[in-house]
Amino acid sequence: MTSTTAARTASSRVGATTLLTIVVLALAWFVGFASRLFAIVRFESIIHEFDPWFNYRATHHMVQHGFYKFLNWFDERAWYPLGRIVGGTVYPGLMVTSGLIHWILDSLNFHVHIREVCVFLAPTFSGLTAIATYLLTKELWSPGAGLFAACFIAISPGYTSRSVAGSYDNEGIAIFALQFTYYLWVKSLKTGSIMWASLCALSYFYMVSAWGGYVFIINLIPLHALALIIMGRYSSRLFVSYTSFYCLATILSMQVPFVGFQPVRTSEHMPAFGVFGLLQIVALMHYARNRITRQQFMTLFVGGLTILGALSVVVYFALVWGGYVAPFSGRFYSLWDTGYAKIHIPIIASVSEHQPTTWVSFFFDLHITAAVFPVGLWYCIKKVNDERVFIILYAVSAVYFAGVMVRLMLTLTPAVCVLAGIGFSYTFEKYLKDEETKERSSSQSGTTKDEKLYDKAAKNVKSRNANDGDESGVSSNVRTIISIILVIFLLMFVVHATYVTSNAYSHPSVVLQSSTNNGDRIIMDDFREAYHWLRENTADDARVMSWWDYGYQIAGMANRTTLVDNNTWNNSHIALVGKAMSSNESAAYEIMTELDVDYILVIFGGVIGYSGDDINKFLWMVRIAQGEHPKDIREENYFTSTGEYSTGAGASETMLNCLMYKMSYYRFGETRVGYNQAGGFDRTRGYVIGKKDITLEYIEEAYTTENWLVRIYKRKKLPNRPTVKSEEATIPIKGKKATQGKNKKGVIRPAPTASKA
Amino acid sequence: DRVLVLGETAAVKDTHSVFLNSVKERGHELTVRAADDSQLALFKHGQLIFDHLFILAPGVQVFGGSLSPSEISKFVDAGGNVLVAAGSNIGDALREIAAEHGFEFEEAGTSVIDHHNYDQTLDSGDHTTLVVGKDQLISAELIVGNSAKLHPVLFKGIGLVAGKTNNLALSIVRASGTAYSYDPKAVRATNPSIAGSRTLLVGGLQSRNNARIVFTGSSELFSNTFFSAKTNSVNPSVQGAQSGNADFATAITRWVMKESGVLRVKTVNHHKKGETVPPVEGYFITEDVVYTIEIEELKNGKWVPFQGKDVQLEFVRIDPFVRATLKNSNGRLSVAFKLPDVLGVFKFLVDYRRVGYTHLYDVQQVSVRPLWHTQYERFIRSAYPYYASSFSMMAGLVLFSIVYLYHKDTPVKGAKVLDSEKKKN
Repeated sequence: MTSTTAARTASSRVGATTLLTIVVLALAWFVGFASRLFAIVRFESIIHEFDPWFNYRATHHMVQHGFYKFLNWFDERAWYPLGRIVGGTVYPGLMVTSGLIHWILDSLNFHVHIREVCVFLAPTFSGLTAIATYLLTKELWSPGAGLFAACFIAISPGYTSRSVAGSYDNEGIAIFALQFTYYLWVKSLKTGSIMWASLCALSYFYMVSAWGGYVFIINLIPLHALALIIMGRYSSRLFVSYTSFYCLATILSMQVPFVGFQPVRTSEHMPAFGVFGLLQIVALMHYARNRITRQQFMTLFVGGLTILGALSVVVYFALVWGGYVAPFSGRFYSLWDTGYAKIHIPIIASVSEHQPTTWVSFFFDLHITAAVFPVGLWYCIKKVNDERVFIILYAVSAVYFAGVMVRLMLTLTPAVCVLAGIGFSYTFEKYLKDEETKERSSSQSGTTKDEKLYDKAAKNVKSRNANDGDESGVSSNVRTIISIILVIFLLMFVVHATYVTSNAYSHPSVVLQSSTNNGDRIIMDDFREAYHWLRENTADDARVMSWWDYGYQIAGMANRTTLVDNNTWNNSHIALVGKAMSSNESAAYEIMTELDVDYILVIFGGVIGYSGDDINKFLWMVRIAQGEHPKDIREENYFTSTGEYSTGAGASETMLNCLMYKMSYYRFGETRVGYNQAGGFDRTRGYVIGKKDITLEYIEEAYTTENWLVRIYKRKKLPNRPTVKSEEATIPIKGKKATQGKNKKGVIRPAPTASKA
Repeated sequence: DRVLVLGETAAVKDTHSVFLNSVKERGHELTVRAADDSQLALFKHGQLIFDHLFILAPGVQVFGGSLSPSEISKFVDAGGNVLVAAGSNIGDALREIAAEHGFEFEEAGTSVIDHHNYDQTLDSGDHTTLVVGKDQLISAELIVGNSAKLHPVLFKGIGLVAGKTNNLALSIVRASGTAYSYDPKAVRATNPSIAGSRTLLVGGLQSRNNARIVFTGSSELFSNTFFSAKTNSVNPSVQGAQSGNADFATAITRWVMKESGVLRVKTVNHHKKGETVPPVEGYFITEDVVYTIEIEELKNGKWVPFQGKDVQLEFVRIDPFVRATLKNSNGRLSVAFKLPDVLGVFKFLVDYRRVGYTHLYDVQQVSVRPLWHTQYERFIRSAYPYYASSFSMMAGLVLFSIVYLYHKDTPVKGAKVLDSEKKKN
């Protein structure tokens, strides 16, 4: 009788917990979704960032023409005249995902434009990320910590920055895939089941198809396996899960055309293979240890291992030397040596999100979780088990990478959220529990019992009980205060996250906004104005030259052929465009003729004070051009005599004559920003420009937008006939030009008396 | 075609009547006017009212009517052809026209002087009436006619020089090495600004829109006097004969009026070998393609197949990947070749520039795409080891399973030893 009621209360308690969990996760999903909508609510439901325009265009193409047409899409409008094999140079996961959603909605008779699917994809996936994070944290620690982590990741600015509505980028879905793969890995490691390992490989396949960051997984999981072996935590579970994961994952990842043979041919993937081999050896050792004598074992162990180790190193270098395995790429080196990219691959260093992270941005993106995650890390180290080794390694490596590149803050955020979740959950468990009545504590033990079902680490529970004893000394007042303070911190985190999302990460790049003195919002729609002009007023096959940042936009919004774009795969082509921009007009004209350029587009922020314009990026163009054409372009020629980069009074002659300067500042000398300011005052850089009377010989202005943000120039044809300019005449041209007679009688020179006709 | 002829006075009808009649006989409609006529115009409602303009008036300072050097440049840009014949008494307007087209006339009052090649009969003692040998002509039959048969040409007038940056200039008739340009009446105080074979007697230009302009320093070149004269060069190696001026004038006007040396593209076709129309979605790499271009030449007012054998096709993506000489079979020029194993946007480019001919330029843009994922070979030989390994693996698994399931372990001595050792450890 009593047992049945107990069972019933237990089951209802389980039911209540499940309900609560579902409610919390649903709320996290909802909040995560809603907080990402600022950009859409304020502006329009369009793709707001520069890069995602290509993803959108590709998705559109796929939805229109079908998957196989997309897979074999040769885009002749990009990288003119090289063209781009889109199917083979893109991670198709994003397009396939939104295409699939579109198809499902369509077959359910919800007819949505593919654009809406693309715009809302990232916010939707943020909810899935929250759930994946919950699952991962639950496996690592407890369901409570999981809920904390899920709530953190849902609104954490570090993740929001890449997944607001309208930013249709790979990262939006990749973080979900990342977390889910890790969850499945931990699960398969804990259970040692082939099924979970296979699911993990499938999830990894999804990640590979979605984002280049998959390399992080295929290095972190082997690292985890290696750490476990070194720590003496080898088990058959590890062997089963890793070997089945590695084999399936490698084969699956090779199905993505962009990845192709990389998993077996590049150095980045070799550690995974090495660990795979090592695991076989270790397994063999374990098998052999029980079957042969100790001495035999030692001989086998030492001798075999040395020979194998030496052999594998030799084979690896032989393969690299023979060209069968590619050595580590420049991007990889730049992760270890932050100065590497600046010297060897300026194209990577030129991207602002590849710069080293400032400590401010750690706080900005993570807020309180940045402070709490070491606590979680400490708890994990203190109560280490197989799977917690994983989160430790994950956190430590992610912290390092986030320090090297701003962009990799994104991979750190999930780890921080998980660990902060653990930290908060553990602390609250400690400090709130003792104040509860006995009933509550019995429910706690109930949950720990539940936990046992899937969390086999029984010693975990024991150690927690032991810890309870340690901390019973803290007075209940202190506990209350600490709890309240922590709750306040959490509230502040929410406030901060919302504030950052609203003010920093929801500014569309496509439209600019500023505010008047009254606080009214002014929208500057220059980009779309310019692209619309291009779309309507130029020939369909017109080729537009611009710096690569704007390539995707021109292709997506203006539907015109571009020379270089954000997929920076061909450095020499970019360098050629950089050279054209930094050469003088006649040299640039030759390059532009070679490349069949019809229009040139520059972004100029001097009128409204937009700092992300081409003049500010110009030094990178020079550097990249110099990398390929060191004879023609020298960086120092573009500096003032004091070695500064300036377009103002002291600017060098090369600077004043280069195409970029001329195009940016053409007719700018006539403008006047304020009454008391001289003409040609550049608001972005805060000085009057160096040369105001700019004349263009080989190009002509075609269009300039309202706020001068986008300026489009047209390449002139060669003059129909050569003319003799007075300064280069052999015989000096004297006198004024013969004026045109207005239907008057002309004048004939009187014949000199001496000469006769 | 409609030709406007401008003389200093209407008397040009008489002094150049032979020349003008010869042009008229070729079927052109001549309008002769004085250069200072106040009714002169080249355009009417923005349309050309003349196809060609001959200026045989050296002394024009200011043109009458709406005519002006810039108007003449506009005329050229609109496709009109111009012949300018000047003289020692050159006016500013002509010098300005020359400058607008990349040439420079010498200053007024000067003449081209050659003490070794003047005509003894016609010269007045200044040594300015020159006898031009055929070696001074440009070697282009389309422009100067058959120069081997051409008699020496008489020239009297001002020097001309091509602009330094004028890379379209054609030196149709150069002065001899002993010629120089100076005022024959003045005392030589300074070096002549132009001398030797750099001095042009006749210069030509084909602008980028294929309009043709000819400048010469001598309007007498086309005069009745010179047409009918017999040459009597001071240079003993040149034999006296009937002057070649008439033949030369015919040849040069035929060229400048685009009666000769005009090419056009009739059709262009490219397709895969064995097909007839270009593929809709572009070519695939390493396909065999056939390119055909039909070129026609204007001969005696009729378009006839072009017979040139040196037309080349380039297959270009920034740099040419294929360059082949087209095989001419009665105006149908074609070539078959294999596309390179390089993808991208390519151009079939025919860029035919020959002196005397109009510029023939034809571009066909095509994209060369990679193979579809289904177009690769399904089974390749080098993959046989992998097929073998996968099948042997499957077979091995089945065998192993059978052995494992149906094999009963019989206790062996060795195993016992191992077990006992294990216990010891």
